[in-house]
Amino acid sequence: MNTVLMLTGAIAGVDKQAAIIVVVGYLIVFLALVILYLVFRYVMPLFFKLKLYRRAAREGRHLDDSEKQELTGEVNAAIATALYLYFDEIHDIESNVITIRKISKSYSPWNSKLYNMRNL
Amino acid sequence: MRRFIIVIGVLFILSITWTAFIKPDREKDSIRKTENIESVKGNVILKQDVEKEGVSKGLRKFWAYSGFRNATKGHLIMLLVGLFFIFLAIKYDYEPLLLIPIGTGILIGNIPFYQDGDINLQLGIYEAGSVMNYLYFGVLKGVYPPLIFLGLGAMTDFSSLLSNPRLMILGAAAQIGIFVTFLGALALGFAPPEAGAIGIIGGADGPTAIFLSSRLANGVNILSDGTTVKNLIGPIAIAAYSYMALVPVIQPPIMKLLTSKKERKIRMKPPRAVSKTEKILFPIIGLLLTAFISPSSLPLLGMLFFGNILKESGVTKRLAETARTSMVDIITILLGLTVGASTQADVFLTPDSLLIFVLGAVSFMLATAGGLLFAKIMNIFLRGDNRINPLVGAAGVSAVPDAARVVQNEGLKADPTNHLLMHAMTPNVSGVIGSAVAAGILLSFLG
Repeated sequence: MNTVLMLTGAIAGVDKQAAIIVVVGYLIVFLALVILYLVFRYVMPLFFKLKLYRRAAREGRHLDDSEKQELTGEVNAAIATALYLYFDEIHDIESNVITIRKISKSYSPWNSKLYNMRNL
Repeated sequence: MRRFIIVIGVLFILSITWTAFIKPDREKDSIRKTENIESVKGNVILKQDVEKEGVSKGLRKFWAYSGFRNATKGHLIMLLVGLFFIFLAIKYDYEPLLLIPIGTGILIGNIPFYQDGDINLQLGIYEAGSVMNYLYFGVLKGVYPPLIFLGLGAMTDFSSLLSNPRLMILGAAAQIGIFVTFLGALALGFAPPEAGAIGIIGGADGPTAIFLSSRLANGVNILSDGTTVKNLIGPIAIAAYSYMALVPVIQPPIMKLLTSKKERKIRMKPPRAVSKTEKILFPIIGLLLTAFISPSSLPLLGMLFFGNILKESGVTKRLAETARTSMVDIITILLGLTVGASTQADVFLTPDSLLIFVLGAVSFMLATAGGLLFAKIMNIFLRGDNRINPLVGAAGVSAVPDAARVVQNEGLKADPTNHLLMHAMTPNVSGVIGSAVAAGILLSFLG
């Protein structure tokens, strides 16, 4: 450690105090994020798996493979899109009304064709 | 008539140019001389002369107080800088939400006005009692940055980070820029607290840079040798935000330089789906862990994770909505405007600012390179589809979400079907956490 500090100080041409700040500071940043990584990579999945096994045990059954595996976001998106498309294509109830609705416009001199034409 | 208007226009421009480059001191001297002469004349002056003198004195005073009379080269340069920022934001869409308030702030802060040692017109940002001075309080006391972090937390979706947590380490690797720049600033003769504040530019995080510089290089703290620390908030904030806006320009050449085409084509495993419980637990665990490791970063990280709890808990939708929309917008306006206005020419145009800009650029480049190279080092130990596309490492500099967007674009250039955005978001948001932790460490060592 002392060698690292001396080396850092010598390279940057600064005193030992500054080298300590750099080396310790960088290590602490790493430490903070590595701990977060370890917690969310190993501790959390373990916690969730335990929860899953406990629920299965309570219900008196064994976990099957589909419950154990992790689904990717892409798979979820594909399932959701397939379901959406499937339900969108179903035409179980039709109105059967195929007439064209007539749109009538009430007369007004403002939209009268006659008043819009130049009377030569 | 047209010629007349042209002649009048040219005369007007010439008069402005002429007056702008004359030292305002000469005008002040002439006013003082006139006042002395008047006092000598005393009661002898006739009533008519007094009236004439009064009118001319009033006009001279008006002229002396006008912006045209007090303009210096520094003011004009800074006004051009402000206009350039606004131009960049509108024309090229470079971080317009930041550059428009900052650019306008630079214009407001550099309108020349009469300044004398003992006169306080309550106009300038550094004059006690002025409106801008009250707004600047939020920067000086580090009030605005934590509030920005609250909004950021309420906006951020950490699911990409939770689905592939090992990429978090890239966010730590990219913080090398902060610490190397700290050494560089020390070597260039800055005092340790100033060097710490300059180094944080490498975190590519504007609010963090303002927070740390307001604590370490605020022009108020006294150093161990009895001298006062320099006020570097303006140059540091402008450098940080400028380089954040220039991420699409700075990063791609470094990415291409440090990666091969084969590496840029690496496809990564798609991220897994993340449960709601995990999303709720992340801000709570993250807050407790990081705050215990670096309590000095609590104002920033506390607010970041608080904002995220508001978002993910699902029961405080109104609060989360306010935090990520109205509140963060208000703070962005105030922060941008006051930081821009703090770049008053006499404070900003110094050799130190130039050095800060150079160090900031170096810091950004080192941070980008640090992330990229660490991803390559990680690849030595990884096999198959666990390998990391090294471009993702470049997103370890915070600059959310611009750095991730740059990674996505560079990835698409190498392989148009390879989307890296979601992968790049992990080091990107962990970079925010990393830079806040680094700021806390520097604050605890140097504060």
